Amino acid sequence: MKIAIWGSELTAWATAGALARTGNDIYFVSHSQIKDPITLMGSSIRNEPWLRDLIGDEFEQRRMRFAQTRTAIGIQTHILSMNPSEFEAACDIVRKIAAKAEGPLLIINQSHFGVGASDKLQALLNRRKKQIVVYFAENISEGEALDRIRNPKSMIIGCDDKAAKLTIEALFRPFSTQLENLFVMSPKEAEFTKLSIIGMLALRIGYINELANLGEQLGVDIDVIRRGMGADPRIGRHHLAPGCGFGGNTFPQTLDSLAQLLSEQNESTLMRTVLLENEKQKELPFRKLWQHYKADLHDRKIAVWGASFKPGSASLDSAPSLKVIDAIVAQQAEVRIHDPEALENVHHLYHDNPYVKIISGKYDALKNVDALVLLTEWPEYWSPDFELMLKQMKTPVIVDGRNVYQREQIESLGFAYYGIGR
Amino acid sequence: MALTDKPGWQELRKHAAANGKLHLSELLADDDKRHKTFSLRQGNLLFDFSKQRVNRKTIELLCRLARECDLKSSIDKLFSGDAVNSSENRPALHTALRSPKDSKLSLNGINIVDGIQETLERMEQIVERIHSGQWRGFSGMPIDTIVNIGVGGSDLGPYMAAKALSDDRAAGARRLRMFFVSTMDGSQIAYRLDSLNPATTLFIISSKSFTTIDTLSNANTALQWLRQASGAEDEVLYRRHFIGISADADRMAAWGIPPNSRLELWDWIGGRYSMWSAIGLPIALEIGMHQFRRMLAGAHAMDRHFRSERFEKNLPVILAMIGIWNINFLDIRAHAILPYDGRLSHLPSYLEQLEMESNGKNVTRDGEAIDYNTCPILWGEIGPNAQHAFYQLLHQGTESVMCDFVVAARRYQDSGNAELQEQHRLTLANCLAQSRILALGDSVIGGDEKAPFFKRYRSNQPSSTILLDQLTPYSFGQLIALYEHKVFTQSVIWNINPFDQWGVELGKQMATTLIEPLTQQQDVGQFDPSTNGLLEWILKQQERDS
Repeated sequence: MKIAIWGSELTAWATAGALARTGNDIYFVSHSQIKDPITLMGSSIRNEPWLRDLIGDEFEQRRMRFAQTRTAIGIQTHILSMNPSEFEAACDIVRKIAAKAEGPLLIINQSHFGVGASDKLQALLNRRKKQIVVYFAENISEGEALDRIRNPKSMIIGCDDKAAKLTIEALFRPFSTQLENLFVMSPKEAEFTKLSIIGMLALRIGYINELANLGEQLGVDIDVIRRGMGADPRIGRHHLAPGCGFGGNTFPQTLDSLAQLLSEQNESTLMRTVLLENEKQKELPFRKLWQHYKADLHDRKIAVWGASFKPGSASLDSAPSLKVIDAIVAQQAEVRIHDPEALENVHHLYHDNPYVKIISGKYDALKNVDALVLLTEWPEYWSPDFELMLKQMKTPVIVDGRNVYQREQIESLGFAYYGIGR
Repeated sequence: MALTDKPGWQELRKHAAANGKLHLSELLADDDKRHKTFSLRQGNLLFDFSKQRVNRKTIELLCRLARECDLKSSIDKLFSGDAVNSSENRPALHTALRSPKDSKLSLNGINIVDGIQETLERMEQIVERIHSGQWRGFSGMPIDTIVNIGVGGSDLGPYMAAKALSDDRAAGARRLRMFFVSTMDGSQIAYRLDSLNPATTLFIISSKSFTTIDTLSNANTALQWLRQASGAEDEVLYRRHFIGISADADRMAAWGIPPNSRLELWDWIGGRYSMWSAIGLPIALEIGMHQFRRMLAGAHAMDRHFRSERFEKNLPVILAMIGIWNINFLDIRAHAILPYDGRLSHLPSYLEQLEMESNGKNVTRDGEAIDYNTCPILWGEIGPNAQHAFYQLLHQGTESVMCDFVVAARRYQDSGNAELQEQHRLTLANCLAQSRILALGDSVIGGDEKAPFFKRYRSNQPSSTILLDQLTPYSFGQLIALYEHKVFTQSVIWNINPFDQWGVELGKQMATTLIEPLTQQQDVGQFDPSTNGLLEWILKQQERDS
């Protein structure tokens, strides 16, 4: 099938690559001067596992190509994989497509424009000519984007047209080997379902973080508590790891739109509170450091392990590390940052700040420091050479923002240890 | 020569005898150009005194009196750092606080502008750190609440200004809440602390001497509150939850405030003239340092005008001399300050201190008893509110009152809110209506001579209108400097020292002697019979608690 893909985010690239691999002709819309797809992706998308090779390959095989708007609007099937903030641009695109089309169209919207957005796009088309907008709830997560597209456990499709439903099922059939649930509902319901899922995940994280902070004050270990909670089948284990807050690009943006919807329509502050508390939680590792050093970090050296908002991604979008780094350097303390993939992005943000040092070796980052703050649970941090760490550090203090270490073990080695909720 | 013997004074006496009964309705009827003749501008600030009971001759004679009193040389002494505060033998250099960065003013061989600029830069660092959420409390949470503890000049100026300029709130200030605590009895602070989070509250302790009992007792209450809530070491609390502003670094240190959290004042700044200094930190926290510097620039523009403009065109001089005319020659002993702008709600109480603490004196600089009136009773209120309160007295009472109307020509023009724009028009209309009726009485609506006596307005109450283009940090600086220099000018005419306040000292001493009988419940009977009686009654009431 000939498909035009609109958008420049991870979802757009991953969808394009996956659909090209299953034999579709992909027209990836771009007006950039950059003609090399790998360069155009940008560093954070490029570092997504397997994606770089897949895209390079598909361009070579000519199943993927760049297209200008004027070419792309002539195609019958479109996928909108755009940033939540680009709804106006999406409307413009649909208007242009509509102006050119004589016959049927299928527009698959998988952007988080909010509840009712797909219906607004549909209103720009002529339904009698079988011009249909379908909402497809993408389930992509940075670091596992391709896997999520190719092996989904459930699919939610917002579609009230029989023919369009068949087309979209055909399109995604190659990815349905592990599919347990397929839900077809109205676009508005599908958009609301997607939003509700994201909100629920945020609530779980927010709740376990609240409990962790409380547990700390009451002197209980949240790890014990969450295992007990997770064993209850009504609750389950996922998304119950306390930590120093969540970040990312679309996740916080989508939550923000949900929070806005809730407060505007319902005067509900539930989701807004979760978001505000999450921002506070991001600074929690800093506060532990601050309290350890009796509210004075002036002239100290602090190592940071992990800057990206999650392992497997180079992205710093809304990352807790940004808040912690800003807080440390504001105290005129030096921060020595290591990250397996995000250092280029860190450099981009902080290259003119004399207090920020970018260090490519994780043990080098520890040289002569007064503390280590771990913010992203990259696998290479889970089992480091503690003896070497003790040698490198001036003062053996570890603030573990992701609870990757065992307190007893760390303390027996001679470190002062601060985790989240224990 | 005594003031009342000066030829100018004598001439004004005669002039008053001949013209003092002149009615504003005649003055305004006879001269189409009266507004043009009797108004002055400095920048965009317009001072209209065409509704004062003066004619050209009056202004001429008042300026003559100012010259006979050597006003010019007094102004030069003020600006150049002479010890114009003679009883305390020190200068009063609030004007230096707003002089430009590259200017120079040598005091005892030191260029004080350097120290002033250094303090401004330190203020800027503090403001930026707080605005960016990087001033952290004991727990590491960002400070989001500021409580200014100070009294008198360390309270009224910052309080008034922060309120006046709240439309210009800096982006970083939106996450801040700011409170002012001044009263000795603890009622403000106790009420306030109940609703605050100790982890995110920063106290500014402002006291020029750092001995003010009102302020220190509130500061101690704050410290105790932090201790109980935090469990943190005192050193951490002092470092992260207090900023001290004082001329006495040693006393700040003794109280516990570390060097990095101190801002310096100088003994050549009077408390009621100090909002331009570090005492203005709450203002800077509200509007940001850029706008704080605009406020200084506005005041500086008025300074230059006051120093260089000839008296006939000099706003502070004419504002002051019209006061002299009203007080000393028309025998008006009450002065109302009437801002037609809710943002200026605290201007009256600020000016109460500025004028009455400066010029409420009954001896000359040389210690001679004074036989003429000095500072009148001054009070005020937001004009439209006062219309429902004391305007009755202005219009139909027996007391002559001079009034200052203060209002901005433009407001809400960029808000896009038609209702608010309409409210501003209504406010302006009321302001103009009131000064017109005060001047002209019921004749403005056709002079219904047959109206019943209780509906008649006697009129001929003089007023000035100070018209700002808009209320901005700059125009606000102009406005306050205008009043400061007006007060100084009057002090020169009356030959009094406006920079001391010995009249407030005895009360503090007396209070100390009364603490003992109140605590030890003895020695009652050593005071006057009235005080003894009150003491006994209080102690008797308190016996119930013991």
